[in-house]
Amino acid sequence: MSGVVVSHLRLVSTPLPRPNPDEACLDAFQRELDYVFRTLRRLGTSPGEVEDLAQEVFLALRGAWAEYDAERPLRPYLFGIAFRIASAHQRKRNREVSFGVIDVGDAGPGPDAALERKQARVLVLAALERIPLPRRAVLVMHDIDDVPVTQVATVLKIPMFTVYSRLRKARRELEAALRRIVKETNTR
Amino acid sequence: MTSFHPPLPPEVDSLLDHERDIAPLPAAVRARSLARARAALVAGATRSSSRPMAAPRRMRWAAAAALVCFGGAAIGAVAYEVRVRLIKEPVARPAARPVATRPALTALPEAPIAEAPVAAAPSTAPDTHAAPRLSRADAARAELRLLKQARAAVARENYAAAMSPIAEHGRRFKDGRLAEEREALRVKALAGLGRTDEAQRAASAFRARFPRSVLLPAVGRMPARER
Repeated sequence: MSGVVVSHLRLVSTPLPRPNPDEACLDAFQRELDYVFRTLRRLGTSPGEVEDLAQEVFLALRGAWAEYDAERPLRPYLFGIAFRIASAHQRKRNREVSFGVIDVGDAGPGPDAALERKQARVLVLAALERIPLPRRAVLVMHDIDDVPVTQVATVLKIPMFTVYSRLRKARRELEAALRRIVKETNTR
Repeated sequence: MTSFHPPLPPEVDSLLDHERDIAPLPAAVRARSLARARAALVAGATRSSSRPMAAPRRMRWAAAAALVCFGGAAIGAVAYEVRVRLIKEPVARPAARPVATRPALTALPEAPIAEAPVAAAPSTAPDTHAAPRLSRADAARAELRLLKQARAAVARENYAAAMSPIAEHGRRFKDGRLAEEREALRVKALAGLGRTDEAQRAASAFRARFPRSVLLPAVGRMPARER
């Protein structure tokens, strides 16, 4: 009984324990793991490399966690990190991944709706591959992640005008790429 | 905002709609990623790729890391020399020789990830932890390289090939930051080879050593499943 009293007193007299920053960072990463993987794929990381780059995102997030303002939404912040890592990785590889063949055959058995959904995702991913990374990042953030233009400009550290011009061009490129891929698939 | 530029055509927008939903990752990938992240936290990894955001902190970390590396190098060199002199006739292979003759202090910055540590680590050596000449970052890279080989072999279901990097990792990095993943791979590889008893023993050891591991459910299923 006395143990209960002591622990109660201790709770009252000591300030609230601050959450361990490492644990908080890991929690955030865990919550957004699906998003991190998908974002890296959208930014052109191959399936074989996405796990390693996700770890780099985590290490970068952890390194910058002290500066992260918890009031800000996490996803755009993570996107900024993922974008820098994917860009550096792409520069290192210095090659474009060709998605000439759309492999919708490996979608696996499933209901029509699920298959259609999967095919659409493969198609979008393939079309995104054909847009240069700086413009692709703007398009993914704004048109897929629904991030406002002002925030896109902040995260990517570019002027608003540049965001608009990249977005306009990226949308045209996306539309053209989708059309081309569908045509290529139909003629194959 | 969007009034400044034409909206997306409806058919493109509906395609993007599918991409807006993010499908959950397979449980194994999720578990592996979180285990690696947790291992990085435990090891206190300081490598960060976001240079612009963490510049001042990185400078401080770099200075501290340099200091630690320098101290570690000195201690490692002394320890290495002592060990080499104590173990006159190591059971090691001939390949160990050229590494052993290298001056220990200059070896550190070159980060000899690939061949270094097997050198003076016969099975009878009392300390089979990380090789003293590897910095923490180099050791992490070497660990990752070994486990990548093991993972790739397991993924190809070439379990025999996986055993060698697993054993080497165990020898060089007994309590390394990826020990948890190594032991999980060991269970899977043993089970895949049909060495069920050993797989079950390894699974029990895993449970005892990592009672809170996220890989625990998968490890528990392995010996039965791979038979």
